[in-house]
Amino acid sequence: MSDVNLAAPADPSTVKAPDEKRSLGTEWLRQLALPIAVLLLLGGFGLADQRILSTYNLLNIAQQTSYLALFAMAQMVVILTRGFDLSLGPTVSMVSVGAALSMAAMGGADANGLLVVVAAILGGFALAGLCGLFNGIVVAFLGVSPLVATLGSMNITLGVATTISGGRPVQGIASSFASFFYTGTVFGLPAPIVIALVVGLVLYVVLSRTVFGRSLYIIGTNPQAAAVAGIPVKRLLVYAYMLCSGLAALGALMMTARTGSGQPNLGGTLSLQSIAAAVVGGTSLAGGRGGVGSAVLGALFITILSNGMNLTRIDGYVQMIVLGAIVILGVVIDRLRLETR
Amino acid sequence: MTTAEGSGAPKDTAEPLLVLSNITKRFPGVLALDGVDLDVRAGELHVLFGENGAGKSTLINVISGTFPPSSGSFRFAGRDVGELSPSEARTIGISPVFQEFSLVPSLTVEENLFLGRESATGGFLDTRAMRHRARELIDELGFDLDPKARVDRLSRAHQQMAEIAKALLGKVKLLILDEPTASLTERETGRLFELIAKLKSQGVGIIYVSHRMREIRALADRVTVLRDGRHIKTLKAATVTDGELVELMTGRRIDVLFPTITHTPGTPAIEVENLTTADGQVAGVDFVARAGEITGIAGLVGCGKSELVRAIYGIEPVAEGTVRLRGETIEKLDPRSSLRRGVAYFPASRGAEGLALTRPIRENVSMAALDLPRYQRGGVIRQFAERALVKPIMETLKLRPPNIERAVGNLSGGNRQKVMLGRAMARDLDIFLFDEPSVGIDVGAKVEVYEFIKRLVEQGAAVVVVSSELPEVLALSNRLYVMHHGKIAALLEGDQRTEQNVLSSFFEEEKREKAA
Repeated sequence: MSDVNLAAPADPSTVKAPDEKRSLGTEWLRQLALPIAVLLLLGGFGLADQRILSTYNLLNIAQQTSYLALFAMAQMVVILTRGFDLSLGPTVSMVSVGAALSMAAMGGADANGLLVVVAAILGGFALAGLCGLFNGIVVAFLGVSPLVATLGSMNITLGVATTISGGRPVQGIASSFASFFYTGTVFGLPAPIVIALVVGLVLYVVLSRTVFGRSLYIIGTNPQAAAVAGIPVKRLLVYAYMLCSGLAALGALMMTARTGSGQPNLGGTLSLQSIAAAVVGGTSLAGGRGGVGSAVLGALFITILSNGMNLTRIDGYVQMIVLGAIVILGVVIDRLRLETR
Repeated sequence: MTTAEGSGAPKDTAEPLLVLSNITKRFPGVLALDGVDLDVRAGELHVLFGENGAGKSTLINVISGTFPPSSGSFRFAGRDVGELSPSEARTIGISPVFQEFSLVPSLTVEENLFLGRESATGGFLDTRAMRHRARELIDELGFDLDPKARVDRLSRAHQQMAEIAKALLGKVKLLILDEPTASLTERETGRLFELIAKLKSQGVGIIYVSHRMREIRALADRVTVLRDGRHIKTLKAATVTDGELVELMTGRRIDVLFPTITHTPGTPAIEVENLTTADGQVAGVDFVARAGEITGIAGLVGCGKSELVRAIYGIEPVAEGTVRLRGETIEKLDPRSSLRRGVAYFPASRGAEGLALTRPIRENVSMAALDLPRYQRGGVIRQFAERALVKPIMETLKLRPPNIERAVGNLSGGNRQKVMLGRAMARDLDIFLFDEPSVGIDVGAKVEVYEFIKRLVEQGAAVVVVSSELPEVLALSNRLYVMHHGKIAALLEGDQRTEQNVLSSFFEEEKREKAA
């Protein structure tokens, strides 16, 4: 049926044998474009200010990247299925206060040991899981567009976060919790970096090696074909949104440990930043394209950009303009990619 | 419709309407057209014939200004044509009707007709004039089409009609039709043929792309055969045989299109009783398909034949009725359970419902079988096993080139259908529902699909073939249901399976409906 496509001159079906070398070449370029941009950015800022390339600052960048990388990975999972999650930021806030309140109920800052950490994790993940379940059901089973669904749940989660905390920071973070998620080290690497690495590795395996991961790509590429092939599209969509919220919750726990209290506005602009990181990294909003590598690179790019702008004392409001432009640029590049395909 | 001035029969002495010489089109790394010559005279119907990927589409895209040729000369109506945009092409009288529709789904038929060329007075749309003109045109074409209907509410056949009407709205000198009858009913096809005859008599030149021999026989003045982007031969249609054409197209001989199939009907595999779908497209149907034979379902577009098999597979919601598979009543119909019960469905629209185009062949083949332990263990895909299972499947199906890591989007129609067939071989199935199995694929690939179906049946599987192409269902099926307006109009067996009987059962059913 679709042998003719007048929109795409290079529509491969009208052409005999697409040149594999060429596609390999552009693929290489596509793969390397962002790493090169990251290095250029780092080099450029380094010229402007020596401190940026110091070991201390590089480690600092790595640590900051690990938070955004988690959120970008979370976002990437649902973007693969042609969705996105605007409620990610408020979910982070909600998990933060939820976890802090769980710890406070267990005895707060005085209590120590594993039990408190477990209580915080359970409380945080329970809240996030509910939010993901809600998003997934509304998108998959009620057929509401991800934009509207998560815009709605964004307000709901924000309301929950503010209500349960009374709008104030929740004190009483146990030191065992802080050490687990922030101050601790493994082989000299700070806990946030270790967690991000482990999660990235696990998610990579899940996406590339499991039936679930494979199915997400197929759903994103052609949801109708996925359904006809017997893939339980709706159920997997719910899982995807839950996984997204779950990863966001993990990032929220890490940020809470760093802040030292449960913050009802911790999520702030994270929804947009995480979408930006994923899209800049090469995850396509049209679905079916992207991966852990692209999310992490995108996060690294944005982190270096803001770190460099901070150290070169670029005005905070100008930074906002730059970040906004980056998001749009990422989406435009994505569109161009789709058109030239 | 407004057509070219000048009258009557083509004059061989004058310069033809369209003259392409030595046209070459190069896409990065690919030579899609290699020095192709083509001339079309005013009042002539010129068929472009060739397998998928032969360059037909590229050629008509060049003619209609979608993209320029890399080299070669392009003369139209006595003038050299340089850079040509699609809208310029329309202005000089080149009007293409592509298979992929150019309609805006959310607009009405009349809004689509006038899209980009709205009539207006003083900045306001002249709705009444446009409505009048649309009505007039559609009546003149004899289409059963409501100009006020939204395009996305129309069937594919009606969308096709709207597309043709749109092409004929302006001043047309050269009409390009790309498989225009693929989704038209017999009656609508008849109308289209009348229309074509009328256009020809008015001196319009027509380029017609089709795989269907019957149409070529009925319409063509000359046929140009393309293969691998090259011009093979241009022949007078009156003096060429079907065999010669197919041989020129494929570069090899194909003696028989339809294989001889030995049917050995066994126990009923599918029994449907009083089935009605939620959308009412199927209304109270009784249907039986047995193992070891092909059960055909013929009918016009929109008669519910496709919806019937889709309901059996579980993608069309059922309002009432029962479906029994091998004697067991099925309560809940959905694709996943259907596959587990051994039922496969091959959608008519492979691009929309069949394949994930940017994913590799391997994933498209295994995607309906990933729940089986041979492909995964505890949810983790066994990659080596997957490769080892998929590769021989595609080798059996003669995938060319035999690389299972290529994206499906790079494949021709025939190879895409092979990927679908491969998917059915990736797990153990014994009930196969084919929805328009040969739509959009060339003769060579058709033969291979038919051979595949033959193997399935002779191994004892139950096969249902739904098709709008009468010769196909007649030749393949052992028992043939004829559907009309959601109901079974007739069941033809043995010698009763003739084209005449199928057509007369439509009319009888029509009469019965009128009487009721």
